Amino acid sequence: MYKGASYKIWSVLMVSPFIIFFLLFWALPLVLGIWISFHNWNVSAGNLGFVGLDNYKMILTSGTIYNDLFMTGLKNTLYFVVISVPPLVLIALGLALIIDNLPDKFKTIYRTIFFISYSISVTAVSAIFLWLFNNNGGFINNVLMSLGMKEAVNWLGEQPYAWLTILIATVWWTIGFNMMLFINALNEVDSSLYEAADLDGAGAWGKFWYVTFPQIKNVGFFIVIMTVIASFNLYGQTRLITNGGPEQSTNSLIMNIQTSVFGMNQLGIGSAMALLMGIIMTVILGLQYWLSYRKTD
Amino acid sequence: MKTISKWLALVVTVFLVLAGCSGGGDSADSGKGENGKVQISFINGFTGGDGAYMKKITDAFNASQDKYEVVELQEKDHYTKFKSGEYDLVVIHGNNLETYKQDGLIQDMSSVLEKAGIAETDFHQAGIDTVKLDDTMYAVPLDIHPLTMFYNKEFVQEAPKTYEDLVKINDELQAQSKDLYALGVPSSGLVEFYMLMIAAQNGIDLEKDGYLNFAQPEYAEALMQFHDMVWKDKVSPAGLGLDGEFQTFMKEAQEGKAYQTAVALTGPWFYGGAKEKYGDNLGVAPIPQIGSQLAAYGNSHTIALPANVKDEEKLAGIAEYLKFMYTPENLINWADGGQAPVHLPTLEKVTAEQEKYQIAYQNSQQFDDYVSAPQVYQFGEQIRYMNESVFSKVVTTEKLTTDALMKELEKATEMAKQIAATAPQQ
Repeated sequence: MYKGASYKIWSVLMVSPFIIFFLLFWALPLVLGIWISFHNWNVSAGNLGFVGLDNYKMILTSGTIYNDLFMTGLKNTLYFVVISVPPLVLIALGLALIIDNLPDKFKTIYRTIFFISYSISVTAVSAIFLWLFNNNGGFINNVLMSLGMKEAVNWLGEQPYAWLTILIATVWWTIGFNMMLFINALNEVDSSLYEAADLDGAGAWGKFWYVTFPQIKNVGFFIVIMTVIASFNLYGQTRLITNGGPEQSTNSLIMNIQTSVFGMNQLGIGSAMALLMGIIMTVILGLQYWLSYRKTD
Repeated sequence: MKTISKWLALVVTVFLVLAGCSGGGDSADSGKGENGKVQISFINGFTGGDGAYMKKITDAFNASQDKYEVVELQEKDHYTKFKSGEYDLVVIHGNNLETYKQDGLIQDMSSVLEKAGIAETDFHQAGIDTVKLDDTMYAVPLDIHPLTMFYNKEFVQEAPKTYEDLVKINDELQAQSKDLYALGVPSSGLVEFYMLMIAAQNGIDLEKDGYLNFAQPEYAEALMQFHDMVWKDKVSPAGLGLDGEFQTFMKEAQEGKAYQTAVALTGPWFYGGAKEKYGDNLGVAPIPQIGSQLAAYGNSHTIALPANVKDEEKLAGIAEYLKFMYTPENLINWADGGQAPVHLPTLEKVTAEQEKYQIAYQNSQQFDDYVSAPQVYQFGEQIRYMNESVFSKVVTTEKLTTDALMKELEKATEMAKQIAATAPQQ
């Protein structure tokens, strides 16, 4: 039944859409990006010739504008990764555990409520948070001042408040996605394990630590990796809420790569920056992978 | 081997099919449209309220024509699209013109303007200064949108003309309520206008050998005026962020919870919103003298001819379109959209109906004092560090010293030098 030329042709046809789109939209841009990064490529003037590793050297040489852009962007992005990943994972887990323990009739309602913010565009999210956190007469400041605070907080124009605003906006916006993954993982935990834990006299914490956590650990690791990648790609919130300020302190690496390409016209430099960013992300994720699975091996 | 060949054949086939499907191409290549008319693609960034007014001019031209058709594309990121596509006409901001010239993306427009019967004398000198590079007309000037002053007549009876007037207004308002200020100085947004305005009002030339030389002690002194406006004279509340000058103007004072200002030095594009809120109580006037001399700064729109346009028929069509646009009865639409045209016959019409074209008229009053942006390569990038970092420090750091500011200005200048060095033609 599954033999002969017809079977082979059909199997090739069935798999070919994936192969084609993989080549067109992943492999080809990647190869092109690597190739461009070795060239002096100006967006206006085009390819001005092969320069070898010069673009990388310029990015990594202290005192150049490209080094300043890359290092500032990288530092800001790493800062955001460090402050955003723990709340994005832990709050999502907390919400998932709460929903998991709700009566069945409420589960769907709350799951939808927490997930719905994820479907909103970053433009709308930014508009909401700009209004909420406006220094002059913003909603949050009005509430805080009604509660007795003397001076308005400059949420968008001073650090650490600007990062805090970006963090709150990001958590509100994206928490639903991680929460859904945790809910699915919790649904997979065998209920008999909890019954056994109950018989052994385990409390809520004991059940979580000895039953739930080991069962959802792999999904949790996947969520951490996905969240690190998402935080590395920070762009919309800092572009639209703080516009990189105050004093370029929320300029993310992606924003600075965009500046190199579309502001300075340096496509070669921008491609080299993007590849360096990819390498850094790969190293960090590899390290995470190694740290997470070292013990189990 | 046979299997690999099969795969290769399949992939190549699908690539060819996809390539075949892509078809089309830019209108610049197509020459004539389906209606047989010569098509002229015109790309601009008029995605705001003014877009409809430019469209009105284009639609009227198309309706009047049986030989040419202008296809107008209003795109938010029109510069990126322009660089990667082929168009026949493009709107370029005055401060970007030198960059596009040096990149070889635009060409001398003199012959097209001659064909259109448009002369240099048809324009205010401020417009000509913007488009004339190395004594060559690289574009036709459309408008100038300088820093504009709005004032709320509920608080201010007469438009302030000097810094002293602003201080006086502030004293009066502060006596009424601690939440009322004369004006707001933002930390980001329109800060380039503020920084170049104060340079112009102190007679400081920032251009040096193709780069922006910010590291001048007199410029540091001039910038410190904005610091003093916030921290010493306190004519502005502290901590205003993006577009803070306009947002504070539009707020209503709320006992310690929100500040309100009586005056806004802002962009003319905010006129619609301000007019809607304040109606007849909105005053519009040229900006006051804050530095040692009167000068205005802002940006401008110009229409340039892309370097790739060589076709005689198209060039004739472009000339026809410009001839149509640069007539007072057509270009007045642009003034109706809130922009101040630099075309003198149109300006006469604006002046004759100054109540109707309030913002265009008031801004045209600043043309005689207008100082355009220094013509340097990648102006926007050269000033980026100043826009994003230095000005914010000036207005948010209470204990900022001139020495500390000079160090920042030296850093900004070093960056500007490096950007200038990337110019393809030196």
